[in-house]
Amino acid sequence: MELADRAVGFLLSFISLSIFTYYTFWVIILPFVDSDHFIHQYFLPQEYAILIPVFAGVVLLCFLCIFIGFVTLKSKKKKA
Amino acid sequence: MQLCLAHKWIAEQFIIANSMKHVVKILTLVVAITAFWIGLLQTSVVPCSHTWLLPIYFIVSLGCYGLLMVGIGLICFPTCPQEALLLQQDIKEAKEYLKRNKIDVGSD
Repeated sequence: MELADRAVGFLLSFISLSIFTYYTFWVIILPFVDSDHFIHQYFLPQEYAILIPVFAGVVLLCFLCIFIGFVTLKSKKKKA
Repeated sequence: MQLCLAHKWIAEQFIIANSMKHVVKILTLVVAITAFWIGLLQTSVVPCSHTWLLPIYFIVSLGCYGLLMVGIGLICFPTCPQEALLLQQDIKEAKEYLKRNKIDVGSD
């Protein structure tokens, strides 16, 4: 159990660090690189840098709302 | 009594002041970033479409920071198995004692 928790923690840290590194490259460094440089083929166009986070945030918010509603309904049913 | 109250008050003030310091720090950071961003927008050193990405970049990095903190917290989660054993023993003892004195402690 403890090992599984540790693995999940390690995975979470790894994911967050990789997302941060990739996004930093994408948003901060790429505008200063020439547009015909070979590195540009590893990144999506600039619009997606806005679209993907917004989409992810909306999905996360929806998921959170559904989860909270589900838990509230469940606890109400238990009380009754 | 008076002394105790005074102590409590001082402790509360200290906690409030500490959290206020934190709030001030965060607010300063936010203001500095906003000023930097507006400056970038006004001077247009970088193309406008790239400057507009900056707030989203900060939100994404905040999310990454939160995820990282959760991960680190999971990695170094403190557990004390010896204390858990002792606690279970204590619970057993207490239940036996209560049962002996005919106090209902529920099933098991």
